[in-house]
Amino acid sequence: MIPPLRSRNIQQGWVRQLPLLGCRRNPEDSTARRASRFTLTTTPWKSGLILLLGIVVISQVSCRKERKVDMATREKILLLGNGDEPKALDPHLVSSVGDSNILRATLEGLTTFHPSDDTRHEPGVAERWEANDDYTEWKFHLRKNAKWSNGDPVTASDFVYSYNRILHPEMAAPYASMLYFLKNGEAYNKGEIKDFAEVGVKAQNDHLLVCTLERPTPFLPDVVKHTTWLPVHRPTIEKFGTMTEAFTDWQKPGNHVSNGAFQLTEWRINAHVKVRRNPHYWDAENVKPNGINFYPIPNSFTEEKAFRNGLLHYTYIIPANLISQYQEKNDPSLRSETYAGVYFYRCNTSQKPTDNVDFRRALAYAINQETIVKYVKMGGEQPAYGYTPPSEVGYKPPNVIRHDPDKAREFLKRAGYESGKDVPEFTILFNTTEEHKSIAVAIQDMWKKTLGIEKVNIQNQEWKVFQQTLFDMRYDIGRAGWIGDYSDPTTFLGMWKTSDSNNYTGWSNLDYDRLLKESSYANSTEDRYRILAEAESILLDEVPILPIYWYTRVYLISPDVKNWNPLLLDNHPYKHIDLVPSGKETE
Amino acid sequence: MISEIHRHGQDIEKGSSLGKDAWLRLKKNHLAMGSLWFFVAIVLVCFLLPFVPGIPNPNITHPDLQSMPAFSSATSMEGVNVFYLLGSDHLGRDIFSRILYGGRVSLSVGFLATAVSLTIGVIYGAVSGYIGGRLDAAMMRFVDILYALPFMIIVIILTTYFGNNLWLLFVCIGAVEWLTMARIVRGQVISLKNQEFVEAARSLGLSRSRIIFRHLIPNTVGPVIVYTTLTVPAVMRLEAILSFLGLGVQPPDASWGSLIKEGADRMASDPGLLVYPAIIFGLTLFSLNFLGDGLRDALDPKSSKD
Repeated sequence: MIPPLRSRNIQQGWVRQLPLLGCRRNPEDSTARRASRFTLTTTPWKSGLILLLGIVVISQVSCRKERKVDMATREKILLLGNGDEPKALDPHLVSSVGDSNILRATLEGLTTFHPSDDTRHEPGVAERWEANDDYTEWKFHLRKNAKWSNGDPVTASDFVYSYNRILHPEMAAPYASMLYFLKNGEAYNKGEIKDFAEVGVKAQNDHLLVCTLERPTPFLPDVVKHTTWLPVHRPTIEKFGTMTEAFTDWQKPGNHVSNGAFQLTEWRINAHVKVRRNPHYWDAENVKPNGINFYPIPNSFTEEKAFRNGLLHYTYIIPANLISQYQEKNDPSLRSETYAGVYFYRCNTSQKPTDNVDFRRALAYAINQETIVKYVKMGGEQPAYGYTPPSEVGYKPPNVIRHDPDKAREFLKRAGYESGKDVPEFTILFNTTEEHKSIAVAIQDMWKKTLGIEKVNIQNQEWKVFQQTLFDMRYDIGRAGWIGDYSDPTTFLGMWKTSDSNNYTGWSNLDYDRLLKESSYANSTEDRYRILAEAESILLDEVPILPIYWYTRVYLISPDVKNWNPLLLDNHPYKHIDLVPSGKETE
Repeated sequence: MISEIHRHGQDIEKGSSLGKDAWLRLKKNHLAMGSLWFFVAIVLVCFLLPFVPGIPNPNITHPDLQSMPAFSSATSMEGVNVFYLLGSDHLGRDIFSRILYGGRVSLSVGFLATAVSLTIGVIYGAVSGYIGGRLDAAMMRFVDILYALPFMIIVIILTTYFGNNLWLLFVCIGAVEWLTMARIVRGQVISLKNQEFVEAARSLGLSRSRIIFRHLIPNTVGPVIVYTTLTVPAVMRLEAILSFLGLGVQPPDASWGSLIKEGADRMASDPGLLVYPAIIFGLTLFSLNFLGDGLRDALDPKSSKD
């Protein structure tokens, strides 16, 4: 009687999935178009079902069939979980840890990381280096056998070109401030100087790079390991666009030319980034793995499942509620290490209500960091009462922001709000992962309980979108994490200088800027740390940031992976990492 | 004399309306009746129970009381005594009240989006079917075009453009779901419009809109009711899918879909988080589908009067 109705019944996913109920219908009724619509609307359910079946099948079959990790171990291919999909594979555009993990495999800087000691510098493209007496001029002697993956030699002018590119105002590199160590680097980046020749980096000859610095910097060899100081291949960049053009095709596999131990061979969005041995690498015979696959898996639960099912050697993170399970089993694949990083919220100080310093203080003191660490994060992190993590050698950061409901309420009054109900609506923005969501929900409820603020929204965004939103300062409160780039407190404190490219809060304090500048001219290290601590207490007094916890790296790693040592900055030089079949199932 | 006729009239078999017949037939279908009562009960529980004092706020966290088992009671570090009927989640929120509040969202989406699709679909279909000709062809081709567009992408574009707004979500889903309704009503109206009662209405000089709204639409009510009961679960499922993808309700609020997603992530360590909302959601969808099936059988005028 009513044919369209019958065919509509077939579109009901539930009915379709249960043949018991579906058998009464006549499937011929559905036209091709409806069928396609059906597939579209129900795909997530279907794929979920298939995934579930897949997991069951895999776990059943796994004892008979070789697992993916075992095969990869045999072929010496590292399978690494790597957080989010990379924003770019261009050292001048990235600022996240996951992206720089990939770049560390493909590109090599002047110095590189030591496999077990953060404070030591391995020679990279530079064979040796020396500084003048006050550490303002550094000479890097480049090795003659360093080559790009297409066979071209790596020369000092490649580095000069790269530093020009990242500092060029038109490039608008988010992390350009890492090169402000160079004399006139900042001025050039801000457009005050037009001529790059005035910037303190010169190629004396093909194999001698001279860096003249703005201020005495004894830790420069540490700094040049960073992603932003990596070289790029000039002919490749210019083949696909001008020097300052961002996101061109040069970073695609096939086009990408690199000088590191590995070269990019495959990049499938949201699937994987594959790098394989670079035959032209100067130290190629000592590179242990044949290749690395980086998997962007933003959902830590999925990642943990993948690890358990033998699809990964290493997880980027592990879901909080699974840590205790692994601890109970005494599973050797669970590792927990100190990590020089801080998890905090940025406040947008250019707009209401977070422009009010007392309001920000109220928010900061209402967060119970201990509760979050103990019950929400559960990875053995330390509650952050200040900003710079305590692991920095010799530096004593002021730890002043301790949970204090009374103080928080007092600051709220001082900010001009009689009760939390008067506070205008604002939003906590975070990038889509389960951990960030749990923390955001917990903090939202703390503000509600302590301050009575009712209208706090929570919003998540995909990583790339999220980074752009922060960069454009279209947020109220934004989740943030900062991992040290080198072993010195300035890696944490430097970003809060007025209009630093990683500031994103609009916060500016001239005293703070002045103290940071002063610190580089201090007579002794103790004196320098004292000045930096003074600067940090200004930061913690005006709280453009709400500290939450200091990181601990908790992750899963297969026993097959050798030479993966605990590192404070977690920058593992992949060429030293070996894969040996341990014969042990990681389950 | 008059009374005699009256008495005589009583002897004639009493007229029985379509609705009454349908109700009698539906009553015989135990599965459909059971589903009806179950659904009514779920709706009442979700919308009324949260007003009962003692049902905890679904968004209050007690981080120290996480993953509590069902039927447990504990005192949090803030000194609040909490009783968890169905246990607590990873932030110590009460699962039972989250399911209740989540049900409000899911059911509201179901009803509101269906209402939107019903309004647009019935009017659009009736107008198209009754007027016919070129207008009908144009209107139906427009429906075809919309059909061809992938629904998920439209909703994703709309939510990114207008932001994650729950009310917008209702409208979005409703605005996409009316297509089939329009086709059904159009088909009905075409088969009805040449029947005698429409000709009679036309010969009385009634206006087009009056014929459509007073004579044609009431006659399509059978299939429309059936289709509506089937749209409600479809819409709830869509909302669940969207919430599952992170496009639906925003935390800390929940819908059944988002609860199931959170539960699915934690099913290894905390199966209750997945099982309870999934059971409730599944049963609700089943009950609506069974009810829809029963109504279709009951309202089908061709099925024998027994």
